[in-house]
This record gives sequence, structure tokens and C-alpha cells, in this order.
Amino acid sequence: MATLILDNGAGTAKVGFSTDSEPKIIPNCVTKAKNVRTRIFIGDQIEECKDLSSLYYLLPFQKGFLVNWEIEKQVWDHMFSKDVCQVDFNETALLVTEPFFNFPSIGESINEVIFEEYQFQALHRTQAPTLSCYKHQTDKVTSGSLFGTLVVDSGYSFSHIVPFYKNKPLKEAIIRVNVGGKVLTNHLKEVISYRQLMVMDETYVINQMKEDVCYVSTQFKKDISIARLKYPENTISRDYILPDYTHIKRGYVRAPEDSGKAKGDEQMIRMNNERFAIPELLFYPSDVGIQEMGLSESIMHCMTLVDKELVPHLLNNIVLTGGNALLPGFQDRVFQDVRSMASDDYDVGISTPSNPLTYAWQSGCDLALDPIFPSMCVSRHDYEEHGHVACINKFNVS
Amino acid sequence: MADKRESVRIKDGQQLRVLDEAARRRRQRKALEALEEDNFSEDPHADLKMSKKAPKFDEGIDSSGPGPKKKRKSRGDFKLRYRKTFSALLEEEHMLNKDGPTYFTACAPPSTLPERHFCAVCGFPSNYTCVQCGARYCCIKCLGTHQDTRCLKYTA
Ligand SMILES: [Zn+2]
Ligand SMILES: [Zn+2]
Repeated sequence: MATLILDNGAGTAKVGFSTDSEPKIIPNCVTKAKNVRTRIFIGDQIEECKDLSSLYYLLPFQKGFLVNWEIEKQVWDHMFSKDVCQVDFNETALLVTEPFFNFPSIGESINEVIFEEYQFQALHRTQAPTLSCYKHQTDKVTSGSLFGTLVVDSGYSFSHIVPFYKNKPLKEAIIRVNVGGKVLTNHLKEVISYRQLMVMDETYVINQMKEDVCYVSTQFKKDISIARLKYPENTISRDYILPDYTHIKRGYVRAPEDSGKAKGDEQMIRMNNERFAIPELLFYPSDVGIQEMGLSESIMHCMTLVDKELVPHLLNNIVLTGGNALLPGFQDRVFQDVRSMASDDYDVGISTPSNPLTYAWQSGCDLALDPIFPSMCVSRHDYEEHGHVACINKFNVS
Repeated sequence: MADKRESVRIKDGQQLRVLDEAARRRRQRKALEALEEDNFSEDPHADLKMSKKAPKFDEGIDSSGPGPKKKRKSRGDFKLRYRKTFSALLEEEHMLNKDGPTYFTACAPPSTLPERHFCAVCGFPSNYTCVQCGARYCCIKCLGTHQDTRCLKYTA
């Protein structure tokens, strides 16, 4: 029997068979384009759209939780179809992820959709950080201690700090910071619209700009002083040329030596302190009035909630995952912060997988090959016999 | 800049409208909600629902897989049965899950680090607070921009 791995993120779904080397990355949404009246775009179909300005998004997730099946079903139908994965439901088991503390009724809806609507043969539900921990433990065969692993998963809707004892998430010590890629992009849209150019409807374009030019600072005060200077002393400022989808198909950074005024009809955004002040929200949510600890402070707070004996293991085994871990400087900043806040008696060890976005999916592939995997699944027969109880007893969710 | 300063003073002299604490909190709450929005504008094609490529609701997916086609009636009503708003889910969780770690307990507590302040206009560190609305600004120039464009221009 084949196993399909679906890391069902609120921003993008990562999907593919356990035998594939890479997942397909599918925007987990349905999109409408301003100038296309004839159709909607499901998931990655948006790649067929030539004009990506003023897109309208329909998202199945709200605050990181799956609340709208009307939309999710369309995306899943598309993912399972021959256009993406060509799933033979009679011969396939599904491994699917969900957030920690997923609400029971959402869990039930997943069981029902998987077994009754699609008729998969077996199901395993887990969380992306749990998968990441599994892979971190199996990959890191040489190192000493694997008693504790701390997974920091910073995604679209929020970020989670998840401590593990061996492979077991310590739920009473999990911390959620309600800042993720969506908040960063929305805040960037807001400040650019106020300071320079109205871009409130340009989520796609501004998100791309964020990915192209934003970074996490490791010297915030110094970067602020540099950003106050003029070119060429100001080494931070970047002129970003927006796509017009006729001549310019994609936004890009103009070489610093060519910076200055926009040329001709082109639209330009000058990214200066915004380059690093936006990702700061991950570390200082209070910068925009979200009264929560940021990532590094949350890591230290997490250490006060776990067994003291475990702390040195956790601090020495931090894994950074999720899309925000792709921001340049992310790991350096977490290291710098944690190193300065943790006792000198502890070693701090942090790693970022080569692809932090697909790490959980890759890990799902490994798990699917593990001899213990079948015993972690609920079969369709079990479900038909015992219903949701079979799933509640089997999966370590909610 | 001198003009701006003067206009500020005249305004002050006439009648200083100041947002009260409740209005400031309302404005802050709206700003936080805006950070969670999926879209800024309304759906441009609210009438447009299906593409030809997308399977219709009731077809289920029996038509796509290569496996043997079972006659099966989709309980397509799950979409409605499981349609809950996020706040409804929170309420349910609050009722059903009284002890043990939950969505609520997992939320990061308030930071103990000193708060930082940035100019609402230019984004650089700010030392001043607008007396009328509580927004932050860093210099007279930015204060002028703030008063001309935001401040009390939109009501919360
Ligand atoms: Zn300013
Ligand atoms: Zn004001």
C-alpha cells in the first residue's frame, strides 16, 4: 500500500507520496484574479494566472485552524487528482498534519472526510513538529544526547515552541506565539501603504517582496543607525521594482548603485528599515501591540515549564522549521538571544534543516517507511467499526 | 515646517479633541484584527464560484481515482455540519476542556522585556506620543504627517 504524506499548512500544503523525493508545494487556498472572470484558481493553479495583482484569497484556515471545508475540499480534490498526485484511494494510506491543540470537532471532520468522502484505507494524524523531531532524532545518529529536542516551527498563522522528551511532545510546555508569515506580510502591506504606495490589495506581490528582501537583524540598534544614513553609507536600503505583469513579470531588487527614482512607468518601493523591522515582530510581537513574548523569550519561558534535567538537552538540540526559518539571519538571531539569556552552564546548539519548509514532510516519508508506522494508523475498517473513538485512542492529537 | 507647527497650535487653541481610553483600545483592537485579514477589499467576483476544472460538490471524487467505481452517496453535508467560526470553536473548547493543556494555556504570556516604540510614520524609534490619539511619532515633521493623514482623520 502506498502512503501519501500531507503536511497541511495554513499557508501551503506540502504533499506527495512517501516514495517521492520532494513534495509538491500547493498554496492552501482558492484564488480569484481581478481580471479573470471566467474561472477560479485552486491551489497551485494560480501559476497559470498571468496577472497576479489584486488577487482575492479564499482560505480554509482561520488563525491556523481548519474551519472551512467548502474551500479545503476543493484544494484537496485538486491535490489528490491526476493533476497533482493521482491518488488511488483503494491502495493508499494518508499521513496528515494538524496544529497542536487542534479542536476535537475539527479532528472529527478530518476523520470523516478522509474515510467517508475519499475512502483512504488508513490514516495517521500528527503535527509537523512531531514529524520534525522524529527526523531530527533519526538523522542525528552521531551526536550524544537525544533525550530532548526543541522544535521551533514558525509558519503562516503562528509559531510554536515544542519541547520533546525523546519523541514525545510535552504538551504542558508547548508555547504558541501568534505571529507568523501572514502577520508579517499584512504589517508590511500596512506600513508600505501608509508610507509610500497603496498596496493593501497586493498580498501576493508584497509577500514575494518580503521573501526577497526582509531579513532578521542580529544588531538591531546598529541597523537602525545605518538605515538613517544616505547611500552609499546606508548599506541596508533597497529599491524594489514591482511587477506590472506586462513588461515586468516579477518584482526584483534594483542594484544599489542604480538606486534612486523610479524610471518611466515603473512602480518602486524603497525598503529601508522595513527590511528588518518587519521580521522583528517574531521576536517582539509587542512592536505592533500583540502582548506576547517573542520567539526567543518564549524558548526561555518554555525552559521554566519542563523538567530541569531536560533543559540542557533541549537547549543543545534546537531545530528551526517552517517558512520563516528561511529568513536570512533567523538562526543567528535565535542563537544570539538564547545564548545571552541562558545560563553559561548550558551549551546552546541550533540547527536549521536544508529546507525548513519541507522538513516535516520529508520526515513523514521516513516515518512511513518505519516498521512501526502501520501500528500508528487507524484503518478504514477500524473507523467503520468504532468511529472517532478509534482515532482518539490512536493519535496523539488534541 | 513652520507652517505645520503653527497650524498645530491653532488647532490646539481652538478645541483639542482627544480620543478617550476606550476609543484608543478600540483602534488598537482594529489594528490587530487587520493583521489577521485574508483580504483588504471585497470579493471582486462574489458570484464566481466554480471553475470547469473543479469537481462539483456532489460528484464527490469517485470520478477521479482509477480504482473501481463504487456507488456511494457522499454525505456532502459535512461541509455545513463542520462549519464553525473560530470563536465558536474557542467557546466549545472552553466548555469541554477544563483541565489539561489547551489552546488557551499554550499562548505565550506577555513579554517581560521593556516595550519598544516606533514612529507610526517613518518606522524609526520614537520618543513622543501624540496627545490626541496616542500614536507614536519621532519628530515634528512626522507629527505633521500623522496629523494630516491619520490621527483623528478616521474614527475608531
Ligand atoms: Zn518619524
Ligand atoms: Zn494622533
